[in-house]
Amino acid sequence: MTQREEILARAFVDVADTLVADFDVVDFLTVLAMRCVELFELSEAALLLADPQRGLQVAASSSHEMYVLELFEVQHEDGPSVDCYRLGEPVLCDDLHTALARWPRFARKALDSGWTSAHALPMHLRNDLIGSLNLLRAETGSLPDTDLVAAQALADVATIGILQHRAAEEHRLLAEQLQYALHSRVAVEQAKGVLAEHTGLDMDDAFSALRQYARNHNVGLVVLAHAVVERRIPLAEIRQ
Amino acid sequence: MDPLVLRELMSGLQSDHEQGESPGVRLCRACVDLIDVSSAGIMLRDDADNGTSLGFSDDVAGKVEDLQFTLGEGPGIDAHAFGRPVLGPRLDTPDRSPWPTFGPAAVSAGVLAAFGFPLRVGVIRLGSLDLYNGRSGDLHALQLADAIAMADVVTNAVITVQESAGAGSLADEMDNPGDLRTAVHQASGMISRQLDISIGSALLRLRAYAYAEGRSINDVAQNVVTRQLRFD
Repeated sequence: MTQREEILARAFVDVADTLVADFDVVDFLTVLAMRCVELFELSEAALLLADPQRGLQVAASSSHEMYVLELFEVQHEDGPSVDCYRLGEPVLCDDLHTALARWPRFARKALDSGWTSAHALPMHLRNDLIGSLNLLRAETGSLPDTDLVAAQALADVATIGILQHRAAEEHRLLAEQLQYALHSRVAVEQAKGVLAEHTGLDMDDAFSALRQYARNHNVGLVVLAHAVVERRIPLAEIRQ
Repeated sequence: MDPLVLRELMSGLQSDHEQGESPGVRLCRACVDLIDVSSAGIMLRDDADNGTSLGFSDDVAGKVEDLQFTLGEGPGIDAHAFGRPVLGPRLDTPDRSPWPTFGPAAVSAGVLAAFGFPLRVGVIRLGSLDLYNGRSGDLHALQLADAIAMADVVTNAVITVQESAGAGSLADEMDNPGDLRTAVHQASGMISRQLDISIGSALLRLRAYAYAEGRSINDVAQNVVTRQLRFD
């Protein structure tokens, strides 16, 4: 295996790590960005990820300078990565000198830093578009096709990893919610029993009394139920 | 595991969900078919070890699940507590049964082997899938593999159903008072007040009484709730 093949292989293996509990997206993508620079002989690489609330974010970059440029691109909505994410397709520019009309701010800033070509590839899996991978070089001209194919493959594999991680997190969150919901339901029934015994009310009326008290005192029903069951609240107060 | 049967199960679960029905019975019957055991039950337990039933495949399973709730002992309870499968292939051999009280009671109900598989998402434990056989003996390797796979299917189905509910409340399909052992929890509340003891102790008293009387904990709880039975 050539050194290049080794680096590529290792990048793919890294994706398996995305299923580990303490997986860190930023670490993972930073390593990926640096591998891209190494593999494709780039000046810089960066990855943008779309956050549902905050929009496109610079998730990782190969240097601070690149981070600043990408931040600039996102804030001004001006540049190849942003276009790539918007279109969901590769955006390839061989010579940024010809892009000053298209990306007035980005092209100027990139050229000033000495970067003259940009290739942005989408991070997507079927209908999920989650961001883009941006590759910058100090030379004009396009990346060889083999490099573009390999870079897209890396982007694809990273996408799968991130989506898997998100799905696992969501799964875990739902399980926790279910556990909490079961526990809460039990607590409420127990509280009904405690109150019913104390007041002589039937279960429905006891439930109404609990809800009424919770509403009047701006307290959650489940919190109140726990307080009743654990005897942290005088029951005389609840009977109204 | 037959992929066609599994696919049928999945589409059946989908239509249950769309009609707001509990997936419990369908899941249990599918386990019986796919794993080839006599009967099955699914228990959901919270982190304070309060249990409810999601469903069972037939009356025998219903009775034996009830035994676990009443006695506080059994394969499902252990599987949930330990987070791993718990196997009881020979309940009719007293010294080979891990459950001194549940074992003989299950045998009386016609169950000679019982196996519990935890329902888990990582470290979060949700309950157990309980499998019962009318004949004693181990599960084959393939049955074990299928059981573990089905535990996953059950967990996913339960979580999918829960997804439709808001955070903090139980999904409608699982909010069935009878299944949720509501009476048991209400009765525990009443008893804790009658005897001025903690809720945990109250549940233990309820359980002990049911066991001594040879009755289901649900039945005794109903008597307490309707005020036909007091503990003080």
